[in-house]
Amino acid sequence: MTEQIDKALAREYEAGFVSDIESETFEPGLNENIIQRISAMKGEPEWMLEWRLSAFREWLAMEEPEWALVDYAKIDFQSISYYSAPKSMKDKPKSLDEVDPELLRTYEKLGIPLIEQQMLAGIAVDAVFDSVSVVTTFREKLEEAGVIFCPISEAVHKYPDLVKKYIGSVVPKKDNYYAALNCAVFTDGSFVYIPKGTRCPMELSTYFRINEQNTGQFERTLIIADEGSHVSYLEGCTAPQRDENQLHAAVVELVALDNAEIKYSTVQNWYPGDENGKGGIYNFVTKRGICHTNAKISWTQVETGSSVTWKYPSCILKGDNSVGEFYSVALTRGRQQADTGTKMIHIGKNTKSTIISKGISAGRSNNSYRGLVRMNPGAEGARNFTQCDSLLIGDQCGAHTFPYVESRNPSAIIEHEATTSKVSDEQMFLCRQRGLDPEKAVSMIVNGFCKEVFKELPMEFAVEAGKLLEISLEGSVG
Amino acid sequence: MSEWLESAIARAQGINDWLAPKRAHALELLANTKWPTRKTEAWRYTPLRPVERTQAKVITDKVELLPVAIAGLSAIELVFVNGQFDQTQLTKTLPEGVSISLGSDLDTAQQTEALHTFSTIKPERHIFGLVNDALAQDVVVVTVAEGVEVTQPIRISSLLSQGAESHTRVQVTLAAGSRLTVIEDVQAQGDSFNTAFVEYKVAANASLEHYRFALQTGSNVSIGGSHFSLHDHAKMHSTLVGFGSELSRLDTDIIHAGEFADAKLNAMYLLDGKELFDLHATVEHAMPNGKTEENVRCIVADRSRAIFNGRIHIHRDAQKTLAELNNRNLLLSDKAEINTKPELEIYADDVKCAHGATVAQIDKQALYYLQTRGVSRSKAQVMLNFGFINELIDLMPNAALAEWIRPIIRERFAQMEVK
Repeated sequence: MTEQIDKALAREYEAGFVSDIESETFEPGLNENIIQRISAMKGEPEWMLEWRLSAFREWLAMEEPEWALVDYAKIDFQSISYYSAPKSMKDKPKSLDEVDPELLRTYEKLGIPLIEQQMLAGIAVDAVFDSVSVVTTFREKLEEAGVIFCPISEAVHKYPDLVKKYIGSVVPKKDNYYAALNCAVFTDGSFVYIPKGTRCPMELSTYFRINEQNTGQFERTLIIADEGSHVSYLEGCTAPQRDENQLHAAVVELVALDNAEIKYSTVQNWYPGDENGKGGIYNFVTKRGICHTNAKISWTQVETGSSVTWKYPSCILKGDNSVGEFYSVALTRGRQQADTGTKMIHIGKNTKSTIISKGISAGRSNNSYRGLVRMNPGAEGARNFTQCDSLLIGDQCGAHTFPYVESRNPSAIIEHEATTSKVSDEQMFLCRQRGLDPEKAVSMIVNGFCKEVFKELPMEFAVEAGKLLEISLEGSVG
Repeated sequence: MSEWLESAIARAQGINDWLAPKRAHALELLANTKWPTRKTEAWRYTPLRPVERTQAKVITDKVELLPVAIAGLSAIELVFVNGQFDQTQLTKTLPEGVSISLGSDLDTAQQTEALHTFSTIKPERHIFGLVNDALAQDVVVVTVAEGVEVTQPIRISSLLSQGAESHTRVQVTLAAGSRLTVIEDVQAQGDSFNTAFVEYKVAANASLEHYRFALQTGSNVSIGGSHFSLHDHAKMHSTLVGFGSELSRLDTDIIHAGEFADAKLNAMYLLDGKELFDLHATVEHAMPNGKTEENVRCIVADRSRAIFNGRIHIHRDAQKTLAELNNRNLLLSDKAEINTKPELEIYADDVKCAHGATVAQIDKQALYYLQTRGVSRSKAQVMLNFGFINELIDLMPNAALAEWIRPIIRERFAQMEVK
């Protein structure tokens, strides 16, 4: 067994690191030297380093965005360490006894098997090894289909042409403040390429990607679906994840070439902070996909974690007849703040987009939908339907809607509707009359409220997401 | 800061009158305000180049201008000519309980009240409200005494001659239980620039019927606002009809400062040529049990651009609020543009709020139906456009005004070049 563990440990070294991991945690600070060191650690080619440095120079001239309806202490970017090596076994908790019991209670409620619980809590046991073996069989199957699924740092070496061609093509380096920062300092993330006409034989999940642990706070994902291909990608997991990095600024780029389809599902449940909102994760993510002719991109997200969320998964509907979809459930409680939504940019003819957004606010939280639907002059016959519903639980929370609608084509049709209300007294009365306690009743009503979104999630995720909402709502009623 | 604003500030600095404290305050705020750009949320879609380039000048010479007559309407006329209150045109005998006077003619106590009662214009949102504070020649103060129901409407006309610059300000107070109709009207000739702000205080149980006509077109820059504060059980019904000009921007701000207030806003704007019209309607529910209903419809043709921002803000205490906003837009040309943003900001849980927005073109089937009945395509288009707007005209409580505006709108549609 020890031999096997050693082997598993050795794997971490294989991931392209050039020097001794244990000693490599960078001192806080951000400058060109740090970026050069990150790049050197990954043994990156010259072009990648240049790309990072030019992004960094852009970033220096940019201003932190302040338009979102979120309020947090200013981030000191010089006090962050931009590279921290994976934790070695001996730093990790030895057993579940050392883990926050509150966390364990939640795992139990979610019905997570013991071994997975240990893995999620970051415990150094064979469980990690077990999952490695799962990953190996998994990889073989993908290779057979010709699908590339690997860490992006590996892709930079193995598939430089693909990376060079597509990285930054959907989210340009200077797109926004956090995206530029990510370009400069990203540590790792996923790279997926689905060859022409291929239907990916299984749902891809970050959970199964080796190297997933400690990809750090600046994750970068690039998914390319070549002509006529299909892929479903799952990100995150329902279990609350601990992470010592407070700032997360990820970038996700999707490229759906002609007739391709990408389905991207996210469940995000990072640490939301204590009851005063202290210590929670700041999640400032840029996610965007581009659809070529007849292509389709579908974003589904269930957001329950993080103390501050700033996230707008978007679609650029460039090709004719392309389709963009956005299904979202965002639940905030305690002192959480979420400003999330989507952008649908209609460029091609007969492009279609659907936006279904469900926001639930409880406690002292604030939950905003912010979206943009734009019909460019060429978007002949384009169509959008948007529905944003908000549910308020308690009188100390806030629910907001900021939809931007811009049309420059008379044949395009845009419909937007939004409602805000609380769980109605009639619904509660009906449930309680039938013997349900208030908490169960609210959870049931909320589940119904979110149904349109849950049905878009892959089966297994949908069940977990329902359970997750139930747990998140605990204590917010009455 | 733009050159225009710098020169405006310089002009205001020399004025020493009863409004001096207000001017000084506005100048101080203006000095710290950034000139709006595309990145300024409130001016995102409305470039201020026409203001920066304006050649309009303050004209002090006496000019004879009369407001257009409205058949069947006998109103109390309150007229500004090139920014100056024209005493000679003011209706001589006012109904009992109504007073209209220039702020400079009031006694000190009344002036102090006039300076402090009205604070509905939010400096951070209305840079031109500050400009108006600094440059308005005087403030006209209108009051209706407690319980007085005024049947004769008051019409506030701001008239501008070619190339004139004007800044007008009116304060209207409806004391408890009173009732009043006010018509705001700007009639401007070419190359003119004006800011026109009217503030209303509607006290408990009072009721205000309000109209704002912005029918000037062409090379005119017109920026203004109607700001309302509603107290317990106050009612207001406002109708806005706008045609675009080089730049037309209106802010309708409603504050529910008392409980059980009821606000209705029906706005319609019809744009053609290269016109631009920007309406920002903001409703703040600060107190419980308020009700708001907004209907905004817009038709844009040719190369015109329409902007609508409808914000409903429900404060923590404003439980049991009902608020609804409906925005429908017709886009008639592929060079025209509609930018709409219905916003909800809600901090109270026991409320019902909804908004809906649509952007589309005329229903092809309706058009086809009319054509099969022998109506020409262009006639059918005018009919359908008119029908879309007429639904809101039908809701105007004042019949004389509805009858007056209907043919004007019909004429407007007939002229619109529909592709």
